[in-house]
Amino acid sequence: MDMYLASVLTNMTLIAFLALSAYLVLVVGEVSFGQQAFFGIGAYITASATALAGAHIFWGLLAGAIGGASCALLLGLLTIRLSGIYFAISTLCFAELLRFFLLHLRFTQSVDGRIIGPDGPEGFSNIRWIFENHYQVTDFLLLAVTCLIILLIVLFSLERSPIMLGARMVGNDPILAQSQGLNPTRYRLSFITLSGAVAGFGGGLFALFNTHIEPAMFGVMLGIHGLAYAVIGGLGSAVGPLLGVFLDIGLLESIRPLAAYRMIIFGGLVAFLLVFRPEGIISPRLVSRLKSRWRNRHV
Amino acid sequence: MYSLQGIGKSFGGIDVLRDISLTLKPGQRLGITGANGVGKSTLINIATGFLKPDSGHIQLNNKTLTHQPAWAFAQAGIQRTFQNTRFLTTANLGEQLLLAARAPESKRRLTKLIELSGLQASLHLFPDEIPLPMLRKAEVIRGLAASPEVLFLDEPSAGLTTFELDQFGVFLQQNLGQKTALVVVEHRFDFMLMITDSVVEMQLNRGLVKRGADVKT
Amino acid sequence: MDMLQTSIDGLMIGSTYALLGLSFALVFGIMRRINLAFGACLLFGASLAIYLEPILGWGAWGLFVVTIVGVALASAYVERLCFAPHSKRHGAVTAMVASFAVWMQLDEISSQLLPQRTHAFQGIEVPNFWWGEIFVRGDQLLHFVIALVSILVLYLLLYKTRLGLLIRATADSPDTAHLLGARVPWLGFIIFLLAGILGGLAAFMILSADGYVTPLFGLWSTFKGLIAMIIGGVGSLMGAVIGGLILGLVETHAGAVLGAEFRDMVTFGLVFLVLIIRPGGLMGVKIYRTDSLAQERV
Ligand SMILES: Nc1ncnc2c1ncn2[C@@H]1O[C@H](COP(=O)(O)OP(=O)(O)O)[C@@H](O)[C@H]1O
Ligand SMILES: [Mg+2]
Repeated sequence: MDMYLASVLTNMTLIAFLALSAYLVLVVGEVSFGQQAFFGIGAYITASATALAGAHIFWGLLAGAIGGASCALLLGLLTIRLSGIYFAISTLCFAELLRFFLLHLRFTQSVDGRIIGPDGPEGFSNIRWIFENHYQVTDFLLLAVTCLIILLIVLFSLERSPIMLGARMVGNDPILAQSQGLNPTRYRLSFITLSGAVAGFGGGLFALFNTHIEPAMFGVMLGIHGLAYAVIGGLGSAVGPLLGVFLDIGLLESIRPLAAYRMIIFGGLVAFLLVFRPEGIISPRLVSRLKSRWRNRHV
Repeated sequence: MYSLQGIGKSFGGIDVLRDISLTLKPGQRLGITGANGVGKSTLINIATGFLKPDSGHIQLNNKTLTHQPAWAFAQAGIQRTFQNTRFLTTANLGEQLLLAARAPESKRRLTKLIELSGLQASLHLFPDEIPLPMLRKAEVIRGLAASPEVLFLDEPSAGLTTFELDQFGVFLQQNLGQKTALVVVEHRFDFMLMITDSVVEMQLNRGLVKRGADVKT
Repeated sequence: MDMLQTSIDGLMIGSTYALLGLSFALVFGIMRRINLAFGACLLFGASLAIYLEPILGWGAWGLFVVTIVGVALASAYVERLCFAPHSKRHGAVTAMVASFAVWMQLDEISSQLLPQRTHAFQGIEVPNFWWGEIFVRGDQLLHFVIALVSILVLYLLLYKTRLGLLIRATADSPDTAHLLGARVPWLGFIIFLLAGILGGLAAFMILSADGYVTPLFGLWSTFKGLIAMIIGGVGSLMGAVIGGLILGLVETHAGAVLGAEFRDMVTFGLVFLVLIIRPGGLMGVKIYRTDSLAQERV
């Protein structure tokens, strides 16, 4: 496979984790401007585990996911009384505070004559896992896609269980949800924590693939992109955010000749698209309708 | 046994409910009437945990629920319908009814209720595509699936014709079961007579006043 | 003396933040919407002004006028494309994401207009002076006055005219206002124009005090506006003004004590604390509760 294509595809796969994490928060009715922080925390933890502690990639990624989940849970607990714009802004502040922490995190070691470890604004260089294990870009793409598919399988089985419908009810109409005996706080906390795990895991892969990470990469722009992918793609199914990622990165890459004007065209197109499909392309109604059609035909 | 004792509630300094008490035995059917704005919906909101009373206690089978959140009321078996039917518009009716019936036993009950109500054909539709009489039945089914201790209905007749209301009443009577107590807030007296065994009237500043026989207020 | 000097600097800067906060509070208070493209509109107006300056040749006053007109136009465009189509109750997130898309668009247009990273922005020249032992920057004093005057004008518009009455009625309760026949046609459009004019004023004042524009100005002003609004109490106009002044004070003091690097973090930390301890902001607006039926009667 073409190296360039493979690296674009890998990037799309990694950003898909971020978009899915934004999706999980949107499902329970909240907007987060802070998912990039969990992505960044996951990246730093996985990088430290593999490059500094020499852990196996499996444990490195797991640690990244757990780190992301813990930060998300902490945020969820602190903001337990908030919703709407209050929640959104507090996620933004929390993310910027975490990024500030990364900006001041210095813990370097010399390993085989190379200085590695977080070094303030300079970031974390020489995350050499893919070189040491002789991974080609395509090998890494395969790894990332496999992880994404596993995540999708988990999310789809969640989608088929009543949990996801309960979460959507909590998100759309908390009063109705309570009248059905659902505890909104529990749903929100679990989904926010899960979203942190997903983002942290994606961040871990991101660190391994990029071999260098720095706090500036995890600014609010990254998070808002993930959020926008989820909304554009639609909240009907986990496929939605993937479609959003594909539309943005995939299509934009294919119209390279227009590079200079691409955001002008694309930004307008997205706003225009949302006029006609305010719930995103793959809206919950669309999914529900497709599901019942499918069932009618196959029962 | 479900009881409200000495419930009081005021909004912005104005007393809406003052010292309201009410006891329901299993299977009891109580109707509440009263002028618009005397606080019937407020009473239901408090009785089902959606509003917290300023004073008083709420008990179910000797367990105090007063300060529990609304979802805990629902889990304890206190169900309600809303003055305007309330469903998600983004999922079809079938999915939403299934969500209300989580235990296997409730699922069986739900299937039976759906059959009896003639809702099968609407299960794959979205709530905003389903006519109101059907939705009202669906809302009751949703409440009854888990065989609750008490079911509160807030003005179920709104928007129904006499004929539709009649059908609704028959359906309700046939499917409530022995155990479930019922409280209906209503204006339509014919309907009340059909499904309740006593009626009280809520009056401004006077609380619940007897209209029929043997009601403890 | 240093404390006093820092505080006065803070108030001067804070007055422009107050305008940014007011723009957000107008839109949020009345329409319950967040316009993420707000900063991008400001950047667009400023870029347009710099781009047209050599062509028009009107000098500083030209920059002033074109910036404000440019921001107002961009703001109106954002309203038509991103907010008017999503005016239903559940449209808030969609509208916000649409405005994010337009943010990207306006950013790109601005960088097409101004390809370099920094461009000089020549404000109106006013001499500086000493007042006792306190150094006062003339331009900042002028800006302070302009900010106060525009806040006063906005106040008169909202509280002394019929349009203002209708706007306030709608803000209090859209349904009731509609029932009473107080529907303001193009209300959203008018609000966005107003917010755009305030934003344009703020942009001109901030940029001429700094003396240059960078592409980061958009994101920066969105942040400042949002934070000023949050500190003061979401949706409250008076709160946004006070929030802006407090933000200015906190920033300059934090910068003086801890260094410039910590300045923004202190602000984010403060906002986070305000939110989790007193979510209604300093003015204590009570619309934050998630589980209360007070907002919605069942
Ligand atoms: N959440 C609330 N906030 C303020 N006032 C309320 C609220 N809910 C109800 N009220 C007031 O309480 C009174 C009783 O309302 P309600 O219980 O809806 O009456 P009913 O259902 O008997 O028609 C009314 O005057 C109403 O305006
Ligand atoms: Mg009522």
